[in-house]
Amino acid sequence: MINRKVVILFILLSIYGFTFSQPGAIRISVVPSYGDQVFSLKDASFKAIDSFNLSITELKFYISKIQFLKNGEVILEEKNSFHLVDASQSNSLQIIIENKELASFDQLKFYLGIDSTTNVSGVLGGDLDPTNGMYWAWQSGYINFKFEGITNLCKTRNNEFQFHLGGYEKPNDCLQALSFAITNTSVINLKVDVKKFLQQIDVEKTNHIMSPSPEAVMLSKIVANAFTIPQN
Amino acid sequence: MKRKLHLFCVLCIALIAFRFVDDARFDVPENFPKPVYDFSKNPLSASKIQLGRVLFYDPLLSRNNMISCASCHSQFSAFTHVDHALSHGIEDRIGFRNSPALMNLAWQKLFMRDGAVNHLDVQSLAPITNPTEMDENMNQVVMKLQASKLYTKLFYKAFGDSIITGEHTLKAISQFMLTLVSANSKYDSVMRKQSLFTEQESKGYSLFKKNCSSCHTEPLFTNDDFRNNGLPIDTTLNDFGRYRVTKNPSDSLKFKVPTLRNIEFSYPYMHDGRFKKISQVLNHYTDGIEKSTTIASELKQPIVLTSNEKVDLIAFLLTLTDKSFLFNPDYFYPKEIFSGTGEGLKN
Repeated sequence: MINRKVVILFILLSIYGFTFSQPGAIRISVVPSYGDQVFSLKDASFKAIDSFNLSITELKFYISKIQFLKNGEVILEEKNSFHLVDASQSNSLQIIIENKELASFDQLKFYLGIDSTTNVSGVLGGDLDPTNGMYWAWQSGYINFKFEGITNLCKTRNNEFQFHLGGYEKPNDCLQALSFAITNTSVINLKVDVKKFLQQIDVEKTNHIMSPSPEAVMLSKIVANAFTIPQN
Repeated sequence: MKRKLHLFCVLCIALIAFRFVDDARFDVPENFPKPVYDFSKNPLSASKIQLGRVLFYDPLLSRNNMISCASCHSQFSAFTHVDHALSHGIEDRIGFRNSPALMNLAWQKLFMRDGAVNHLDVQSLAPITNPTEMDENMNQVVMKLQASKLYTKLFYKAFGDSIITGEHTLKAISQFMLTLVSANSKYDSVMRKQSLFTEQESKGYSLFKKNCSSCHTEPLFTNDDFRNNGLPIDTTLNDFGRYRVTKNPSDSLKFKVPTLRNIEFSYPYMHDGRFKKISQVLNHYTDGIEKSTTIASELKQPIVLTSNEKVDLIAFLLTLTDKSFLFNPDYFYPKEIFSGTGEGLKN
C-alpha cells in the first residue's frame, strides 16, 4: 500500500519536474536577493545581515513584453506579456514562456514596467488589475517598481523608505528596456539585487518617491542595473 | 397559410432571441460627434449598466459605508454636489475642489479638473481612495462586494463570473456613467429644427457664438481642453490646476473647460465653486479677468457685454437645461434592487 503511494508520489513529482524542464517552455526564475543573500517575503519581512539594520518589507515590480532574440532578430515573443512579480508570492517569481517551436536564442529582452499605451488603456484585469496595489489612483498610471523597507540610515518616521517608481508621460517616463546576452537554455535565473540599488543611492536623503518625477526616472535607471542573469 | 405560419414562427424566434440579448446600444445623438470612449473594449450591456448604477448609489464603496458616488453627484443637479463650493466627503471632510457635473462622459479624453485621470474606466479610483472623499481602497471594495450575495448575483449576471475583480467593478461603473447623456435640451431641439428660440434666446445665442463658443464649443459646450480663465488665485487653496499634474509652468492655473449643459442646475461654478450665480460668472468674464502669463488666448481681448446683453446670454444658457436628463428614471436610485434583498446598503 505504502509502496503504491510512494510510486504515485514519485510519478506526480516527475510530472511536476517535467513541466518545469520541458523543452517546449522556457522558465524565467526571478531571484530576489540582497548581495549574496537570496530572500523571500512570503512569510515575513527579510532582515539583511548588514550593519544598517535593513529590513525589506515589500518588493513588487512588472516585467512586460518578454522577447527572445537570435543574432539581433526577435524569434520568440510572449503574447499579452505582463507579469507582476511579488517577492511575497512565490508563484509570481516563476514566469513560464511557451517555446513550442524550440527556437534557439542568444538574447533576452523585456521591459521593467508598463508601456505608455497600456497606461492609457483604461482598466485591465489579471496582473494589471488596479486591486494589485500597483496603480496610482489620484493620477492615472501604473507603478513599475515598488520597494519598501526599514533601515536606520533613514531618519524618517519608523526609519521607513518607500520607492514607488512609475510614470509613463514624457519627460518623466520611467519604463526601462532591459537586454541580456544569454545562452540557449530552458531555465533562466534573473537576479534582482536590491543591494546594488541601495548602494548607488543616498538613502539618507532619497527615501520617499511616490510620484512621476525626474528623481523617479533617475532611480528607475539605477534599478534597471540591479537586474542580472548570472551565467553558470 | 403555410407561408404566414412560417413568418409567424420566424417572428416568434426573433422575439425570444431579442428577449435574451443583453447588449445595450449606445446611441450617438444626431448633432453630436463620434465618442472618444472605445466601446469595443467595454461593450455595453443592460446588466452591466444596471450593476454600475447600483454601485454608483451604494455607500459600500466608502471606508465607513456612508458615502456613495451619488453623495457628491446627485442627478437633479446634473450629477454635481449642489450648493457646495467644495464637496464634503467621508466624516464631512472638505475636499479640495468643486465636484464636476457628470454628463456626456463618452466624449471626454481626460478627467478631473486638472486632467489627472486619463481614462473613464480608472476615474472612479480617485474618489474611492481620496481620504477626503470615500477613503477606501479598491481591494477592500472588492472584498466587501464579494461578501455580498446581491453583488455576486449581479456580477454573475453582468460578467458571467461571480468572482469579483477590480476590473469588472470599474468597468460596470463606467458603463452606467457612459449612459449619462444629455442631448435633449431646448437648444438641441432648435438645432434639430423641432422648435424655435425666443427672440431673447436668439440674441443670446449670437452673443454666445461671438464671445464664449471658442472654448465652450458646440454641441458639447466644451472643447475638452484646459484653460486659465483669469480667476484670481484663492490663497487658501493655492490650486494651480493642470500644473499639479504636468509640472509644466505653461500649465499653471489651467483647469478643464466644463460643459455648460444643464448650467441652470449645476451651481456653484468654477473649480472651487466660487460663483453661485450665472450672472457672477458673466461679470467675471467682463470685469474680473486677471491677466497672468498663462491666460487663455481667447481672453486676451476683453469681453464686452451690456447688462441687457448679459440677460439675453443667460436666457440662451437656460436653453441648455435638459429636463429629460435631470429626471430620467434610468438614472434614479435603484430602490427596487436595494429593497429587494436589503443588502448592499448594510455592513
